[in-house]
Amino acid sequence: MKSLNIKKFAVIAVLLGMIGFAFAPAADKIVVKGSDTLVILAQKWAEVYMKSNSSVAIQVTGGGSGVGISALINGATDIANASRKMKASEKDKLKDRYNTLGVEVACAKDGITIYLNPANKVKELSIKQLGEIFKGNIKNWKEVGGADQEIKLYGRENSSGTYVFFQENVVKGDYAPSCQTLPGTAAVVNAVTKDPAGIGYGGAAYATGIEICKVKKDDKSKACIPTAETIKTGEYPITRYLYMYLRNKPTGAIKQYIDWILSPEGQKLVVEVGYFPVK
Amino acid sequence: MKRIILIAFILIPALFFKANAQETTVLKEQITEVDDKVSGLTERLATDEADLQKLAKIKVSGYVQAQWQNFENLNTQPTNYFSLKRTRIKFTYEASDGVKLVLQPDFSPGAVDLREAYVVLNDRWTKTLSLWAGKFNRPNYEVEYSSGQLENLERSLIIRTLYPGEYALGAKVEYNPVNVPFHLQVALLNGNDGLTVNNSAGVNLNSNSNKDIDNYKDIMVRAVYKLKLGSFGGLDFGAHGYFGSIKSNALQTLSSDYTTIKNVNIGDGIGRNWFGGEFQFFADVLGGMSIKGEYIAGKNATVGYAPVPAAGTTAAVPGVANFQNNFAGYYLYFIKNLGSKNQFSFRYDYYDPNTDVTGKDVNVKKFTPADATVVKSKTVGKSDLATSTFGFALHHYFDDNIRISLDYDIVNNEKVGTTAGVSNYMENYTKADGTVVKNGLDYSKNVNNNVLTLRIQAKF
Repeated sequence: MKSLNIKKFAVIAVLLGMIGFAFAPAADKIVVKGSDTLVILAQKWAEVYMKSNSSVAIQVTGGGSGVGISALINGATDIANASRKMKASEKDKLKDRYNTLGVEVACAKDGITIYLNPANKVKELSIKQLGEIFKGNIKNWKEVGGADQEIKLYGRENSSGTYVFFQENVVKGDYAPSCQTLPGTAAVVNAVTKDPAGIGYGGAAYATGIEICKVKKDDKSKACIPTAETIKTGEYPITRYLYMYLRNKPTGAIKQYIDWILSPEGQKLVVEVGYFPVK
Repeated sequence: MKRIILIAFILIPALFFKANAQETTVLKEQITEVDDKVSGLTERLATDEADLQKLAKIKVSGYVQAQWQNFENLNTQPTNYFSLKRTRIKFTYEASDGVKLVLQPDFSPGAVDLREAYVVLNDRWTKTLSLWAGKFNRPNYEVEYSSGQLENLERSLIIRTLYPGEYALGAKVEYNPVNVPFHLQVALLNGNDGLTVNNSAGVNLNSNSNKDIDNYKDIMVRAVYKLKLGSFGGLDFGAHGYFGSIKSNALQTLSSDYTTIKNVNIGDGIGRNWFGGEFQFFADVLGGMSIKGEYIAGKNATVGYAPVPAAGTTAAVPGVANFQNNFAGYYLYFIKNLGSKNQFSFRYDYYDPNTDVTGKDVNVKKFTPADATVVKSKTVGKSDLATSTFGFALHHYFDDNIRISLDYDIVNNEKVGTTAGVSNYMENYTKADGTVVKNGLDYSKNVNNNVLTLRIQAKF
């Protein structure tokens, strides 16, 4: 083979690079994947946005925060919804593949809600008690002022951001092996509704037809349920931001969509669904 | 008639209720049966779920790299061929209590090689420390960067020289403090993995890849800090050091300027020490972009052998002195993502295996002293020449799993001086038909070593 001249090769490379820019995908279809906590809100946003922006198609699916972030790294989604922050190892993978650190957009606030069966006599718990319950150290409701009944734990799969957040901030250790993992917050709520000895955790927006447990930071604090007020004042102790992650700074249709989500109109839907606005 | 109607009134409801009671009994039996079946299925589901959770702890990933290469070097035959560069499957078992096991074999036609196999124990209390033991990547940026993600397809020459085969046997402690973007690795290694240590018969004494050849253990340290530059990007910077020795098999050690010969004993440690500084800069400018670089300098060593009596004669096979070379080298990448499917990469890498001599001092013939006194006359060899490489690569990500890459490496050698005569800077080469071309390779100029690679990588 005739050897290539370095200048010729550089010119070819630059031309191919320009072609690459020219064929950058047009973003009239936006794929959103990730957190099950966020999925009902993301679907609502997409539904309302597409009504007034008919040229944009938004496809929303759940699967969990970890699944969404993996899809972002693999190029299978434009936006990854997450109910936890991106891990350092995930950022490293994004760096390796796309040479960016990703863009984090806080789009809503949530108070992780503790679900109880309405028949349960226990109405409030401290963070420490919750940790001991989900670690399996407290096994019977009578240990926290309830009936003499074995506690049944319901939680999420380890690909869930809620699972990770609850573990890091409340359980502070490994979940009890007896904790039944369910594929979605709706399933957790459903299981607790049917089980008088059940306890579960999940996003505030799913807390319908269920007893919401009051939570207190410690024994001296006042117990409360997650409301706009207790979230804003920081009185409710298990709050978190919900995020959208992108590979690059948003442009075009994706930027317009995110700007709209953060606008008063988009944030109004946050409240309607049962979460809390970022500002 | 009235009597008949009365009897009918009494019997029909009785019959109806009897039938109804029978139906209720049947229904109850059916419900009990279904309930039993559901209970049985629930129990089976719980068992299956427990089994599935165990399986979910095992992750399997891997990739195959198939390629075609064209070599422009006149002495390379065949000049082009297809090959499998890497065929790897990685098994990772992550137990919930912070224990991880990794096993990664590499398959090539006719051979299987264990690339890495290690166990990681994470500290459960502070969650900042982890202990690694087994065969794992040496702590260095380019070494630890996945072979499946390398933008210029292969690692820089200096990294391939210092860390042959990338992996090493040993133990390592990693420190990753919570909420501080700092990463520290301290490793204790056999240190000789992948090195060739020939005896007088040309047999590699370091061929057992699961054993060390000496009692000297090497230490590697790497520290990295990751700085976020707001919404613009980020800068990771750090340093690494290598502090090791290799056992001498010779009676002399020659310095890299070919002026000093030191008497040593067989079994003495010959030092191998170097330091490196690294950075990786990432920016989001019309898509992802990064500039990465590393500079490494220090003293490396190759082991010779002592003179031995030749079989059946009184004459001795001459020995070869150990050689300690001061070296330096670096690499610099520019990588630009073009949309989400394409990527361009440029790398310049430079490696000077002997910073104490220049090309004009070099004889092409390899230095093999029969007598230690000979080495004082600066008979340095071609292996002392510096090499620089301009590498250009284009990648197309066909989908999540497939990457198609075109890579062209322009390799330049340090020029040899012509004052010592033709035989010192010219070499013969052999053509495909076996014809030897005398003095066909001229090292006073650039000898073409350029390589074109077309690679398809599939990973899962």
